[in-house]
Amino acid sequence: MPTRDLLAQPNSDFDHRLRLFVYRQMIHTGKCPSVAEMAKSLKSSTKSIRASLSRLSESHAFMQQENGELWRVAPFSAIPTPFPVTIGKRLWFANCIWDALGIPAMLGKNAQIGASCGCCNLSMPVEIREGKLRAGPGIIHIAVPAREWYKDVAFT
Amino acid sequence: MLLFRSEQHIDRWCEQWKRSPGGTLTLAQGWKLAQLWYGDRLNPQWQPKTASEAESVFQDVGLVGEFWKLTG
Repeated sequence: MPTRDLLAQPNSDFDHRLRLFVYRQMIHTGKCPSVAEMAKSLKSSTKSIRASLSRLSESHAFMQQENGELWRVAPFSAIPTPFPVTIGKRLWFANCIWDALGIPAMLGKNAQIGASCGCCNLSMPVEIREGKLRAGPGIIHIAVPAREWYKDVAFT
Repeated sequence: MLLFRSEQHIDRWCEQWKRSPGGTLTLAQGWKLAQLWYGDRLNPQWQPKTASEAESVFQDVGLVGEFWKLTG
C-alpha cells in the first residue's frame, strides 16, 4: 500500500538514520526493533525515538501501534499477518498482497509468498524467481479508492 | 488489498462485507507496481512519493481512472 504524500517527509538526518536502522533490523533479524532497542542502538532517548517515529509515520510508510511501537514498516508488518513471505530461511509478514510482492521487490531476492484467496482462504502460492512472477490465476482487489486508503488502513 | 481466485470470489467477498466492488489489477500488474513502489526503499535519501508521483506510477502500471486518482 502506498505512502501518501507531500509534507510528510523525514525531516532530519536522525529520521533517515532511524528509518534505515529499522529496515536493516527487519531485514537481518526478521523482527521489528522495539522503541527501547532503537533508543539503545542509536544512543538516543525513547522520547526522541517516539518523536521521530511519529514524523516517519506521517507518510504511512511506518505506522505505530497505540502503545507507540511499530505496527507497519512498509512493506513489512511488525506483527503476523495472512501474507507470509519467505526468502531463503528468513520469514517476514507483509501487510497485504501488494506489500508481500514489495518485499522481494525491495530486496531483489527470490521469494515465496504464502498467499490465499481472500474469499475462501484456499492456498494461492506466489513465487518470485529471478525477477519473474510465477503464480496461478489470481486477481488483486482493492476495496476503496486511492483517496480513501488511509481512512481505515486495516480494512484497506 | 487482497488476492482472489477469480472475479466471482471478489463478488462473494464484496457481498459478505457489504461493499461495492473496488479496483482490480492482475498479479503481473501487482508485481510491477511493487517493483516501482518499493525498489528504492533502501535508498538512504528515500522520500515518500508525492500524490502526483504516485499517480504517475499507477499510470505506468496501467492503473488509470477516478479510482486511482490522488490529485485534482
